[in-house]
Amino acid sequence: MGINSLSFKNLRRRKLRSILTMLGVVIGVTALVVLVGLTTGMTNYMKESTTNMMGDVMIMNSTGGGTIMTQSGSSFLSPEAVDEIKNMPQLYNIKQEVQFLTEFNGTSIYVIGTSDWSQVDINGSTGVVVSTTLADMGYNIGNKITIEGQEFTVTGTFSEGAMGVVVLDSDKALPMNDNKSTSLTANTRGDPEVIKDEVENTVEGITVSTKSDMSKQIDDMMSGLTLFIGGIASIALLVGVISIINIMLVNVTERTREIGVLKAIGFTSREVLGSILLEAALIGFIGGLIGLIVAAILLQLAIMIFSSQIGDIQLAQMLPVWLIAGVLGGATGLSVLAGLYPAWRASRLNVVEALRNE
Amino acid sequence: MNDQNNNVLEFKDVWKIYQMGDEKINALAGVNLNIRDGSFTSIMGPSGSGKSTLLHVGGILDMPTRGNLLLNGKDTSTLSGKEQATFRRNEIGFVFQRFNLMPQLSALENVLLPMIKPDLEKAKELLDKMGLEGKHNKRPSQLSGGEQQRVSIARALINNPSLILADEPTGELDTKNAEVIMGILQDLNKKEGVTIIIVTHNPLAAEFTDEIIEMRDGNII
Repeated sequence: MGINSLSFKNLRRRKLRSILTMLGVVIGVTALVVLVGLTTGMTNYMKESTTNMMGDVMIMNSTGGGTIMTQSGSSFLSPEAVDEIKNMPQLYNIKQEVQFLTEFNGTSIYVIGTSDWSQVDINGSTGVVVSTTLADMGYNIGNKITIEGQEFTVTGTFSEGAMGVVVLDSDKALPMNDNKSTSLTANTRGDPEVIKDEVENTVEGITVSTKSDMSKQIDDMMSGLTLFIGGIASIALLVGVISIINIMLVNVTERTREIGVLKAIGFTSREVLGSILLEAALIGFIGGLIGLIVAAILLQLAIMIFSSQIGDIQLAQMLPVWLIAGVLGGATGLSVLAGLYPAWRASRLNVVEALRNE
Repeated sequence: MNDQNNNVLEFKDVWKIYQMGDEKINALAGVNLNIRDGSFTSIMGPSGSGKSTLLHVGGILDMPTRGNLLLNGKDTSTLSGKEQATFRRNEIGFVFQRFNLMPQLSALENVLLPMIKPDLEKAKELLDKMGLEGKHNKRPSQLSGGEQQRVSIARALINNPSLILADEPTGELDTKNAEVIMGILQDLNKKEGVTIIIVTHNPLAAEFTDEIIEMRDGNII
């Protein structure tokens, strides 16, 4: 019969009090895990969809082309650079993408040339796909549309805000932009990081991003958000932990005489300290565990409800091991910290005075 | 030296002085006392005479302000906190007026509590010896006062201590139960040679012991 099993029994002794104290930790952990889990899931989802889109590397003009907002011609890759890149034996499965602005019926619209139609959520079929803004202007499926003097038949539509956008196959769009690409994607024979350097050294004026570069960019973007959201949710956990200090102080005061007896029958101050800390740690650990389970259920519900909007996302992406371990360790560790002062008070009790306590 | 070897406990000019406001209270005022191995002693005296303090100092629950306490010939004033705890665990068994059992533990668990390596058989045997067959798994709240005190005696005995210290062991019990408890203590002393000191107000309880020490104003008279 060790002193540590007393800690377990003490938790069961005042069930309602223990449960209410744990509830604070449960709420804090649930809030933290759900909010951080959602942003983590979002980050992972963005990373996966970005890296699926490209091959092993993505090559752009080093002045920073490639985004739909780019308008300056200097941000395109020159045909010479593209030829050079295409001749590099380290690269294969090279795909050209192009985005440019053009005049259309007196306004500006974007033309996107793609070789990967899976990135566009099409209503209809691939080939010549227009945004709903253009479809509403009378260029619906089956109708003719003239871009840069060439006539096409619209095969599909997709929604893209209020912008006028036409998506074509790369080989049709490229000649309209003097064969200048916005970006290239390619697979590599060998380590993408090594080949990235080789390509950048061989071809002038280009930037090569690998999948890990892209992941890092997304991480950088999302980590601030995760930190902010996590910080707010941590306040809930902190409130729960502070209530542990309060309850443990009450427990220790209530058990003054018992602590005196423990010391009288041969337990050291350190053993008494340890048993109180263990009790606090148990509140944190059990509360954390329950909080994690509740959070997992809530996240799974969110996945089921929002699956149509956010696509295929798994619970494991929202609840990575680091989050589970961090939250359990954090809740337990903070609870031990909260137990320190009450435990220290208990261990310092004068035995004779403690035994006299009513 | 031979004489000293027979002493479980020796008080050598032991003082315990409390400061109460401006006043100094001599709870123990130069006590000299030897407790022989195998003796059964009661300490009597009015409230405030220092008898409880004597028991607390003797059980190293409290340290003397001045003077020395020898337990099995070893001076206890030099012991560290941890060594004091080890001494209390192995050499001394306490029995309290109000039993002081852990309410969340069963009788058996209470008896096992002071053991580092729990010996279930020994604990059960002790409880049976105390007449608590069939009540091993009862909580203190399910036991009568007399039964609780018998559990606490079993707890005091579990580590085979050199000395049992009992502070008013019959204070919360009726006459019948008080006699049962004193009978158990007497048996332990006579049949197994356990050294016992009790502090009591109760002359009936003191009659069971071999030697009665009277205290007044912090000293033995």
